[in-house]
Amino acid sequence: MAPARTPDTTVHEQHDLDRPWVTVVWDDPVNLMNYVTFVLQELFGYDEPTATTLMLQVHHEGKAVVSSGPREKMEHDTSRLHAYGLWASYQKDA
Amino acid sequence: MTPFRRRGTELVGRLEAAEVGILGLLVDELEQLLADDETTGDPVVERLLPPGHASDSRIAADYRDLTESALREGKADDIALVRAGLPVDGGEVRLDEDQARAWLRTTNDLRLALGTRLGVSADRELPEDPADQQVAVYHWLTAVQGSLVDAIAAAGRRRRW
Repeated sequence: MAPARTPDTTVHEQHDLDRPWVTVVWDDPVNLMNYVTFVLQELFGYDEPTATTLMLQVHHEGKAVVSSGPREKMEHDTSRLHAYGLWASYQKDA
Repeated sequence: MTPFRRRGTELVGRLEAAEVGILGLLVDELEQLLADDETTGDPVVERLLPPGHASDSRIAADYRDLTESALREGKADDIALVRAGLPVDGGEVRLDEDQARAWLRTTNDLRLALGTRLGVSADRELPEDPADQQVAVYHWLTAVQGSLVDAIAAAGRRRRW
């Protein structure tokens, strides 16, 4: 059974469409910490302290958002990370 | 192996003939694995070409259609560059910027492949058996890749390539 449509859900769906996508890097037991930092600097132009902070977030919390934007851009960012062997995926921002 | 160091615009290291032989075999295996389209379900291929979406299989399939062949080609190009720079009888390895990136990506893929075969996971570290040749090769690849990252990072702190 489909739920009744209300103005509220319409607003919510509109908001849902506007939500950006994000690229997430996941923790991986093989990739070296200094390599992950290098790749984040190389691909996204982060300075070393920013890239190190993101790398440590991946290491300690299991994942970190490394970029956000339209879906096509996140597909592209994910494939660039896969070219460097990082464990990455894209999704709609939570 | 003499660790890579920056010299002018190049990264320079040294490999023994036996190390060149091992690296040659490893990149041959990796090349064959990536050239084979019938490897779906192989955990190494799954790790080298992971899903683009963690839970939505339709998005992951779209992503695979869009990117997989280019990713396979890029890895094959990297392997060709690494192979071209190997001194057959051992000796100095000199890498320019493009070659160094190819070496970084390929040594990382080799570590991912070997780590997956050895069952390394978040809950299970590398088996500490010094007699296990695969474990020894894994540690050696880590040393090679680690010295490349350090040499590039040191260069980057002075000025970007």
